[in-house]
Amino acid sequence: MTAVMELPLLPELLSLPRPAGWSGLRAQAEQALEGQGWPSTRMETWKYTDLAALRQLPVRPGGARTVDIGAMILPEARGSRLVFVNGRFDPHRSNTCNLPAGVRMLSLAAASEMARELGSLAGVQADPFANLNSARFQDGAVVIVPRGVAVEAPLHVLFVNDQPEAESAAGLGATLPRLLVVLESGASATLVEEYRGSGPGLTCAVTEVLLRADANLEHERIQREAPQAFHFSHLAVRVARDARYACRTIAFGGRLSRSTPHVVLAEPGAQVVLDGLALLGDAQVADTHSFIDHLVPHCTSRQTHKTIADDAALVVFNGIIYVRKDAQGTDAQQQCRGLLLSPRARVDAKPQLEIYADDVKCAHGAAIGQLDPEAMFYLQSRGLRPALARNLLTYAFASDLLAGVLVPSLRRQLRQTVLARTNAENLESLS
Amino acid sequence: MLSIRNLTARIGDNDVLKGIDLDVKAGEVHAIMGPNGSGKSTLGKVLAGHPAYEVTGGQVLFDGRDLFTLAADERARAGIFLGFQHPIEVPGVSNASFLRLAYNKKAEADGREELDPLEFDDFIQEKIRRVKMDATFLDRSLNEGFSGGEKKRNEILQMCVLEPRLAILDELDSGLDIDALRVLGEAVTGLMNPERALLVITHFPRILETIHPDQVHVLFAGRIVRTGGMELALELESRGYDWLKAEATVSGRA
Repeated sequence: MTAVMELPLLPELLSLPRPAGWSGLRAQAEQALEGQGWPSTRMETWKYTDLAALRQLPVRPGGARTVDIGAMILPEARGSRLVFVNGRFDPHRSNTCNLPAGVRMLSLAAASEMARELGSLAGVQADPFANLNSARFQDGAVVIVPRGVAVEAPLHVLFVNDQPEAESAAGLGATLPRLLVVLESGASATLVEEYRGSGPGLTCAVTEVLLRADANLEHERIQREAPQAFHFSHLAVRVARDARYACRTIAFGGRLSRSTPHVVLAEPGAQVVLDGLALLGDAQVADTHSFIDHLVPHCTSRQTHKTIADDAALVVFNGIIYVRKDAQGTDAQQQCRGLLLSPRARVDAKPQLEIYADDVKCAHGAAIGQLDPEAMFYLQSRGLRPALARNLLTYAFASDLLAGVLVPSLRRQLRQTVLARTNAENLESLS
Repeated sequence: MLSIRNLTARIGDNDVLKGIDLDVKAGEVHAIMGPNGSGKSTLGKVLAGHPAYEVTGGQVLFDGRDLFTLAADERARAGIFLGFQHPIEVPGVSNASFLRLAYNKKAEADGREELDPLEFDDFIQEKIRRVKMDATFLDRSLNEGFSGGEKKRNEILQMCVLEPRLAILDELDSGLDIDALRVLGEAVTGLMNPERALLVITHFPRILETIHPDQVHVLFAGRIVRTGGMELALELESRGYDWLKAEATVSGRA
């Protein structure tokens, strides 16, 4: 980088005393942060995502709160839920009574030795927000599924950032959620990692997922924080031999959100599906910088990223699929599709294949545009007014990706949100 | 019901319709035949209000109203239905939901009761029997992954649900096997009554064996060059279109 030293990143948080545990990881992260400071739009990976608004806001650690999570409960995960409010484990709203023998869902504070893998995937990062998390996270969740165990009920990890509006003058309430997920050989599970919030919040999250051989994880990552919130989340995944990792990241909330999934196909036969959906309006910004790393031969990856931008929203997608020299027989596909609903909305999409092996099957594409006029005409020819036809097609564009959500109550909730966000009140029957 | 006078239309710089005159009365079935590129599909799309086609002249009255003052969706609610040659796939919206939405929009326009999902479920069962559609197609996304024939079946199902006064069917027969063609032909015929009319656009006379037309028109180079009865369709089957092309060219020079 340049010799120009950036101002230190969020000193309000970094100057807090170092929490107990993981001192090695924290020391490394602190050291990395010393040279990092605030990212600027002069950096390639931050070119379109301007943090100027965030830099002007004061930040403070989010205080302790109690939150009514009634509307956030997924009935399917009634006995397999961990809840964190403003970075603190909430044992009264968590419930893990319905876990098969040997399956662990714990707060990090209670996990001790079981969380020894923490930091092994997301150690020092290029992303300073991830390093900030490593340096100062207070608590977090650990999920461990032992060898050969198939967990029926979805595992729900809910991180709430709840900040009182009244204190917005005091700045953004910050939380640093941390999540470690380990599926041992042949284990399978569905994980819902969800970020909710209200009021002016700042979330810097890091999630690590370790899938051993033949493991199978369906991972839903849902970000529906408050409209004035800032959200940064880094995801680091390692997929071992013949294991399958399917992840869907859905972003509705936040004034500015950035997701940086980094998925390594580490052993032959690994399969990855990394899908994303961002549905934005007003002046929201959602940035995805993904990296899918094909290290070894005969792995498969599929990535579909869909975005809908209305009003003056900005969507940034930069997806790198990296196929290393030894990764012969790689089968990788990447699709980025964006829908612009307003002349002021913008999508900056950069699908990227970097291939260093010669025997591979790779394809990528990006299609950004308006609704298909032929589809509009088709619906209008059936008597739907233009506004309704437009809403229906917008809903359909998003809903298509939601069809794969395996938890029925979550799928319904998400579809309701999409219905509401596409102004499709007379489409309620469609959900 | 439908009165077309000297209709001309183009897409881009291409003049496709060059003066169409046609009268369709309630209770009548008309067939529009003609070779590829003669303007048959364009006529259907212009009548349904496709925005890519520009009407450059002439007049069309539907029940005495100037059709071109109505947008595509208004025409549909007024009772015009276009069965597409290539129906559009809409992933993410279930066929049943879409059918109910379309039905309720039409019902609203007609001042009839809208149907809730349970009522509609009863209503649709009889319709899918009529077109012999497997009920699983109701839960699938609209036309997504349907074969050509299944899409056509779905078009006729939509027609059965909407019960249009004027249905324009564009190449219903393409992609259909003989049995499916008979089933759908019978479904279409079953919807006919003295209040309704049908305009069937086709290359091949076979469909006309189940949908008996009152009149057969041959369209060539944007004009109707001949009108007759079923015997004209059969003559086209045995002789092809070339003799008509030759005739049209000669009369065009005269």
